[in-house]
Amino acid sequence: MYSKEVEKILLKVQKPGRYTGGEINSVIKDKDKVDIRFAFCFPDTYEIGMSHLGMKILYSQFNSYDHIWCERVFAPWTDMEELMRERNIPLYALESGDPLTDFDFIGFTLQYELSYTNVLNMLSLAGIPLLSSERKELKNIVVAGGTCTSNPEPLADFIDIFFIGEGEDVDLEVMELYRKCRNEGCTKDEFLILAAQIKGVYVPALYDVEYNEDGTIKSFTAKNGAPERIEKRIIMDMDNLYYPDTFVVPLVEIVHDRAVAEIFRGCIRGCRFCQAGFLNRPVREKSKETILSQCKAICDSTGYDEISLSSLSSSDYSDIVGLLTCLTEWSDTCGVSLSLPSLRVDGFTDDIMSKIKTVRKSGLTFAPEAGTQRLRDAINKNVCEEELLNTCRVAFSGGWTNVKLYFMIGLPTETLDDVEGIAKLGQAVVNEYYRCENRTKGKSVNVTVSASSFVPKPHTPFQWEAQDDIDTILMKQKHLKESITTKKITFNYHASNTSFLEGVFARGDRKLCKVMLKAAEKGFHFDGWNDCFDFDAWMDLFEECGIDPTFYTARKRSFDEILPWDFISYGVSKDFLIKECERAYNSETTPNCREKCSNCGAACYKGGVCVEKRQNLVH
Amino acid sequence: MKSVRIWFTKEHECKYISHLDLNRCMLRAVRRAELPIWYTEGFNPHPFVTFPLPISLGICAKRECMDIRITDESYDISQIPERMNRYLPRGIQVFDATYPELDPKFICYAKYSASINADGVEESDLRTQILKLCDLDSVIIQKKSKAGMKDVDVLPYIKVMEFASDDSCSFTVILPAGNTKNIALPLIFKAMENHLNLELNYNIVKLDMYTEEMKPFA
Repeated sequence: MYSKEVEKILLKVQKPGRYTGGEINSVIKDKDKVDIRFAFCFPDTYEIGMSHLGMKILYSQFNSYDHIWCERVFAPWTDMEELMRERNIPLYALESGDPLTDFDFIGFTLQYELSYTNVLNMLSLAGIPLLSSERKELKNIVVAGGTCTSNPEPLADFIDIFFIGEGEDVDLEVMELYRKCRNEGCTKDEFLILAAQIKGVYVPALYDVEYNEDGTIKSFTAKNGAPERIEKRIIMDMDNLYYPDTFVVPLVEIVHDRAVAEIFRGCIRGCRFCQAGFLNRPVREKSKETILSQCKAICDSTGYDEISLSSLSSSDYSDIVGLLTCLTEWSDTCGVSLSLPSLRVDGFTDDIMSKIKTVRKSGLTFAPEAGTQRLRDAINKNVCEEELLNTCRVAFSGGWTNVKLYFMIGLPTETLDDVEGIAKLGQAVVNEYYRCENRTKGKSVNVTVSASSFVPKPHTPFQWEAQDDIDTILMKQKHLKESITTKKITFNYHASNTSFLEGVFARGDRKLCKVMLKAAEKGFHFDGWNDCFDFDAWMDLFEECGIDPTFYTARKRSFDEILPWDFISYGVSKDFLIKECERAYNSETTPNCREKCSNCGAACYKGGVCVEKRQNLVH
Repeated sequence: MKSVRIWFTKEHECKYISHLDLNRCMLRAVRRAELPIWYTEGFNPHPFVTFPLPISLGICAKRECMDIRITDESYDISQIPERMNRYLPRGIQVFDATYPELDPKFICYAKYSASINADGVEESDLRTQILKLCDLDSVIIQKKSKAGMKDVDVLPYIKVMEFASDDSCSFTVILPAGNTKNIALPLIFKAMENHLNLELNYNIVKLDMYTEEMKPFA
């Protein structure tokens, strides 16, 4: 739905279909018959937000309750925003067309740091005060969940409630509390104090932070009975976990326009740079039967003919061949094609390849992450060159001629030899192609080498590390570019200054709130998009606020410093992270969770891979 | 193998989707409706679908069509609307499926109904102004073409334009459509906007398509 005012501008903007709603399976309810209205906001464009699985899950789950109406909101693209501001059209939700001020909850999902300015910009477009302290009534409660709440501090002044960990249960508990508080006539403050007692809830207003003179944190104190430590929420029973049997099917093309089946959460690997791998421990799998029935239901109700299996590392599903066998038996009969992203180099076997052969051979992507064995050991990637070449051989024999390799530069302990190693590894893959006798005849190979810049993230063994500065990254990119001597390798790399800003927010503290506020006042938005990102403007802003951004990026922290996110527990102990960091310095690997328990602490959840029987154990 | 012409509407929010998006939406519905559709036999087999006269973004349509081919000639095509509508949004609804009588190349004209308004201008005034415009010798607009910008006089394109009997600024208009001669109604409105120096809001509904003899396309 959209208002008459919106209708007047729709033909003046690009892709108006993203502002109209009305898609198949979108949920329309009578607003007078619901108790709680929840505006689920994705701080990026429609095409990106609609591709996000978490939103699909929570949207359907919330709407499965009669008394809740959850609607979707996305960040309008700049042309639309300009017209909306010019004509005083407030940001509205797609289902009802009502402005965000009509909603009880305004919930943001924080998936990447560069979307933070969009969060504030969306609030401002809705005419909602940005600062939590300026929203005094028990309405328009601004909540946020998602990966980035693992360090919520840069947004602490703006968000009323952060959800830490998985949202399915905690969101509903908070909504239920809100309903009760509203009926009893509580104030917003009273509601927030009560909400803080729910496990997985972080109410930033209930904590005081004191700083040392050098800018590091001196103390972090809870008040009003709020817990000193926030424990993440996690759901252990994956087969009874809510999963939608239908998705909203967009009218316009989105980034991932297909059905998605989640096969497990968490990752057994423990790559030391990977935040998701530490936040989502332990690994919890869905059964084959559950996955199959969920795939069927979604394809039936949406009409999608492509389904993608989602997880952090699909080939680590304990019975991946069995799963693919049972899925392809079904998908072959009804013309659905399967795709399997997130394959590990060591997980692409003949068996798997033959199962996904129906998929178009557009290309295969693997992520060795680092160029030399030493550095791959340091980051605990546990993949060796021989495995990569074997895998490529399998792929080349199977008819593939395009291989994409993902790397990172700027990893801790990296030297120029490691950077050069990326080019060498790319070359080795090219050579492998020409050694492979079963390759497609008469075709050339194309190896794409992509190098992104490493940003240290909270709750990982590298959370104390200094991030390479922009000049160092540029120098390494140049060095890598010059090390590539063949035209069969295409080299892509990321802009280093967006990674810099990402690094600032990723490990930022509350002092950044004033920068965020200024950024919002100046109308910063879509920092993740080259069209909008203005690095110099950001640097001016930091200067204006008297904040040195390199304090957050370039500084190596000591193990005993109080980190801004230390009060949040994801079940992995700090001791374990320190031990992992030290092992990285010695290029020592750590076995994966299925090989051997390394005692990270996640066993406290008493489930998943932590209680699985290991194959190598004698029973 | 037999051709089938599927007739549908394109309204509400669906008027804001592009031809490409409409195409994807229809393909999805055709596949899920399990019609015995003929797939192309190239490298990427996909259901064969063509649109005799694609519609532009922003225009509602009452009687659009697309052609498919079915492999089972005995298939009961009367079940197609119900089967497809299950997988279509409310803005795109199939209301009939027929065997084509005419080749798309016979489409010559399209009929639209439109209403125009401008903020701060009485509808009757606007109507008078537009009628005056139509009496001019020419109404020129620059149009982008393959050879660069060129001047187009929009008036000769208007075959018939009939205003509603009341005072409103609503009318039906018949314009050339199809392969040989073609003009988009929004372009005519754009020309009017330039001449009147007004910002126009308009609603356009494509009603039907006709042959050269003004026989409805079927």
